[in-house]
Amino acid sequence: MADIVRVLRRALQELGGHGGLRGAMWQLIRVSDLKIGPLVGVDKYGNKYYEDKRHFFGRHRWVVYAEEMNGKDTFWDLDGSMVPPEWHRWLHCMTDDPPTTHPPVPRKFIWENHTFNMSATPGQYVPYSTTRKKIQEWIPPVTPSK
Amino acid sequence: MAASGVGKVVGTTVKPIFSRDLSEAKRRVRELYRAWYREVPHTVQSFQLDITVKQGRDKVREIFMKNTHVTDPRVIDMLVIKGKMELQETIHVWKQRTHIMRFFNETETPRPKDFLSKFYAGHDP
Amino acid sequence: MLRLPAVRRALAGVSQSTKGCVRTTTTAASNLIEIFVDGQPVLVEPGTTVLQACEKVGMQIPRFCYHDRLSVAGNCRMCLVEIEKAPKPVAACAMPVMKGWNILTNSEKSRKAREGVMEFLLANHPLDCPICDQGGECDLQDQSMMFGSDRSRFMEGKRAVEDKNIGPLVKTIMTRCIQCTRCIRFASEIAGVDDLGTTGRGNEMQVGTYIEKMFMSELSGNIIDICPVGALTSKPYAFTSRPWETRKTESVDVLDAVGSNIVVSTRTGEVMRILPRLHEDINEEWIADKTRFAYDGLKRQRLIEPMVRNEEGLFVYASWEDALTHVAGVLQGVQGNDVGAIAGGLVDAEALVALKDMMNRLDSDTLCTEEVFPTAGAVTDLRSNYLLNTKIAGVEEADVLLLIGTNPRFEEPLFNTRIRKSWLHNELQVSLVGSEVDLTYTYDHLGDSPQILQDIATGKHPFSKILNEAKKPMVVVGSAALQRGDGAAIHAAVSTIAHNARTKSGVGADWKVMNILHRFASQVAALDLGYKPGVEAIRKNPPKVLYLLGADAGCITRQDLPKNCFIIYQGHHGDLGAPMADIILPGAAYTEKPATYVNTEGRSQQTRVAVSPPGMAREDWRIIRAISELAGVTLPYETLDQVRSRLEEVSPNLVRYDDVEEANYFSQANELFKLVKQQLLADPLVSPQLTIKDYYMTDPISRASQKMAKCVKAVTEGAKAIEEPTFC
Repeated sequence: MADIVRVLRRALQELGGHGGLRGAMWQLIRVSDLKIGPLVGVDKYGNKYYEDKRHFFGRHRWVVYAEEMNGKDTFWDLDGSMVPPEWHRWLHCMTDDPPTTHPPVPRKFIWENHTFNMSATPGQYVPYSTTRKKIQEWIPPVTPSK
Repeated sequence: MAASGVGKVVGTTVKPIFSRDLSEAKRRVRELYRAWYREVPHTVQSFQLDITVKQGRDKVREIFMKNTHVTDPRVIDMLVIKGKMELQETIHVWKQRTHIMRFFNETETPRPKDFLSKFYAGHDP
Repeated sequence: MLRLPAVRRALAGVSQSTKGCVRTTTTAASNLIEIFVDGQPVLVEPGTTVLQACEKVGMQIPRFCYHDRLSVAGNCRMCLVEIEKAPKPVAACAMPVMKGWNILTNSEKSRKAREGVMEFLLANHPLDCPICDQGGECDLQDQSMMFGSDRSRFMEGKRAVEDKNIGPLVKTIMTRCIQCTRCIRFASEIAGVDDLGTTGRGNEMQVGTYIEKMFMSELSGNIIDICPVGALTSKPYAFTSRPWETRKTESVDVLDAVGSNIVVSTRTGEVMRILPRLHEDINEEWIADKTRFAYDGLKRQRLIEPMVRNEEGLFVYASWEDALTHVAGVLQGVQGNDVGAIAGGLVDAEALVALKDMMNRLDSDTLCTEEVFPTAGAVTDLRSNYLLNTKIAGVEEADVLLLIGTNPRFEEPLFNTRIRKSWLHNELQVSLVGSEVDLTYTYDHLGDSPQILQDIATGKHPFSKILNEAKKPMVVVGSAALQRGDGAAIHAAVSTIAHNARTKSGVGADWKVMNILHRFASQVAALDLGYKPGVEAIRKNPPKVLYLLGADAGCITRQDLPKNCFIIYQGHHGDLGAPMADIILPGAAYTEKPATYVNTEGRSQQTRVAVSPPGMAREDWRIIRAISELAGVTLPYETLDQVRSRLEEVSPNLVRYDDVEEANYFSQANELFKLVKQQLLADPLVSPQLTIKDYYMTDPISRASQKMAKCVKAVTEGAKAIEEPTFC
C-alpha cells in the first residue's frame, strides 16, 4: 500500500514539476521522460541541468534543453551538441563538480559562444584538398562588365 | 533469343533437360509458382521486409509473366532451375534483405533514351 | 627515335622505298647487286649501307647514332657486324655494301663486338634507370638487355658531366650522354640552328652549347625523341609518368594548320605528354614545340560548367538545362539577320556544320570565321584558291619557291622543315617577298613592298624570268598577307604570278603552283562548308544575337555591337571570347572529342578522344544539336556518324580521312580574279610572327599554357630568368 502511495505521490510530483497535465504532456512528447530532481544549474543559453541520485548511475544527471538557442528554435530540433563543454564533462560524469561551483579555468581557446555540431549540414567542416587540381577552371572577372 | 535459335533444331532429336514436352514444362512452372506463392509470407516475415504479402505476390507474378513469351521447353526448364535456385536461397536466408529488394529495382534510374536527356546525363552515354 | 614498335617498323619500310626519301639515290633496277645476310640472298642498290640491306630482310641491327633522317655519323660503333672474309667487323650504318658480301649479323664475332661496345658505353653511363625519365623507352636500356654482357667487370670511377641549361623545354642530364651526336646533327640539319656541338675528345668529350645559351629552335622538342638515352628529356614531363603507364591515343594537332599527327599519352584522365606520330606527307616524325608542349594549356583556364551572366553583370554557374533553355529562348525570338555566328580557329568541322545548319534553320546566313580571307571575285568558291595545293610533301619536288608575306618558320614550322630539307638536298631556290626573317636557310630577299608582286605578275621583275624558267615552281602566300586592306589585290597578283609561272614554265597540268599557307586549323574546313571569312559582315550589320563558337582572337568586341546584343560563347577556354559573353557553354578541346580537322593542304584528319571533357563540358556539335532541339529547329542528326554523313553531304572531302582532295580550277580562278578592282597598298608586307617569341602563344590553348609563357620569358629575358630547381 505504502508503495502505491509513494508511486502515486511521485507521479503527482512529476506532473506538478512540469507545469501540470498540459506541460507534462509536452514534456513527454519532447523528451519522452518526466524525471524531476534538484536543479544543479542553468547555463547561459538556458539549458537546465538536474541531478537526482535516486536514479541509478547513468540516469542520475540529465539536461532539459533550452527552447531557443543561438537564434535557433530548438523546441523540437534539439541536439546533444547544445551542451557546452564545461557542462558536458559534468553531465557525462567526468567530474562531480558542476561548473556552478567550480567555474572552468578561462582559456583563450574556449569559445565565447558555444555553437552546435555542424556535421551533416551545409556548414560542416570539410578539409581542403592538398592535391593539385587536374583541371583548373577559368575564374570569371569579378568586376561586372555590363 | 535462345528459344528462336533452338527452334530450328527442334525437329531433330534434342536432349531434353527435364521436360519432354511443353505441358510438362508448364507443370513445372506452375509448381514453382505455387512454391513461391506459399513462400512469400515467410519471406516477408523472416527478412522483415517493408512490403505487404500482396506486393510480394504481385512481384512474383510479374517476374513470372515477364517470360510468358518463352515456348521452348528446354529454355523453360532452365528458367525453372534458376527460379528454384532463387527460391532455395530465399528459404534458407542465404540472401540478405537487399537481394530480395533488388527484385523491386526502385532505386534504378532508367538510362536516358533521347538525345537531350543523354546530353544532360553525361558526356557520351 | 620513335619508340613505338609499329611505327618503327613502318619507318623501316619507308626508308627502303625510294619515294619520299630525298637522300636515297635512285638507280635503274638492272644494276642491283646481290649480297647475303646470314646466308639469305637479297638484291640491293649499289650504295646501300649494310644496315639498310639488313633491314631489307627484316634484320634489325642495334644502333645508337644512326637515324634514318639524319646524316650518318658512325661514331657509336654499336652496329658493328662481321662480314665474311673481312679482317675486322665493320660499322653497318656507314659501310656501303659490295657485291657478294655475306653479312653475319649474329656471329660470335658480331656479338662479341656489340658486347664490347656496350660495355664501354655503360662504363660511363650512370645506373640511374629507376629515376631516369627515359626508363622504359631507352634504347640503351633495351639494347643492353638484348646485346649486353650479363655481368659487370667495371671497378673504376664513372665520369660525371655538368648539366646544361638549354631552355625551359629540354632538360639535360649530360652524364647520361653517350655522344651519339644525334641531337647535334638534328640541330644543324633539320632545325637549322647550329647551337649544339661537341667539345673535348676521348673520355672528355661533351655535347653541349659551346657557351651557356638556350637551344633556340621551334623544333627543339624533337631532340628529346631522338636522344637514345635519357640525356635529353622533357622538362614539363619530368618525373610525371612512365611510358608503360600511359594510354596512347593517336590524334591530330590543331595548334597550327599543318595538322601534325600526334600521339597523346594520357594517364588518370590527364594528358601527360604529346609525341609525334609518323606521317610522311605532313610532319614526317617531327612536331613543333607548340604542338608538343602547349598541352598544359589544356588544363588551365578551362570552362567546365555553363555560366550565365546575372543582373549584376557577374557570371554564375548554371545547369545545362537552364543555360540551354535560356539560349534557346533567345534564339527563338530572333530570325534572319538578327542572329549571327563567328567561328574561331580551333573549331572542328562537325561543330561548324551543326552551327551552320542551325543558323540556316533560323533563316540566317551570317556565319563568319575569325580568320580573314579575301572574298572579292568569289574566290572562296573555288577550293584551289585557299589550299596549299602542291601539298607539304610537294616542296621536295619543287625547284623554285617564292614565299610571299609569310614567315613559315613560325607560322608552320613543319612546312619550314620541308623547305629546308628540299633546300638542303634538292637545291631548292627560295625567294621571299615580305619582312626579312631568319628562315634557317638562305633565300633571296626580293623586298617587302607589295608592288614587287605587281612587277613579278607583269613580268617586269627579274624574278619572273627565274620563275618562268623553273621546272617546278611554287608560290606560297601566307594567310596574313591576305588579311590586309588590299588582300584581294594581293591574292589576285599571286594568282597571276602562279598562273604565268604555270603556263610559261610548261609544267604539267598536275603541278599546281599557287599555295596558301593558313595558320589556323579550322579555316579550310570552314571555307569548305561555306562560312564567310572575316567578321566584316557582323561589324557592318550587327546582329541582336551573336553566337561565338570558340572565337577567341578578339576580332569583335562589345564596342562593335549594339548595347543589347546577346552574346553566346561556346568554347573550351576562358580567353578573350568568354568574358564578353552573356552565356558561356563549355565545349571540348581537341584532345577530348572525336572531330574532323582539315589542314592547309585540304587533308581531312580526325582527332580521337584521349581524355573526357572536364567537368560538365560537352562535345561542341552536341551542344549545338541540343540547343537546336530546344529552340524548335531540331537538327536531323543524333550520333557522330550521322553528323559525318551530313558533312559528306555538304562536302565529301571532309570525311575522306587522310586523303587530299585535288582542287584544280586555276585558270578559271585567274579569270575571276580579273574582276577584282582593288589597288595594292604601299605599306610593306609584314608577317605577324617575326621572331621566336611571337611563335609560342597564338591561340587560346597556348595562351593558357604556363610552359609557353615561360618560353616567351626565356627568349626575351634569357634562360636564367626561369631558372627552375633541379632534382637530380
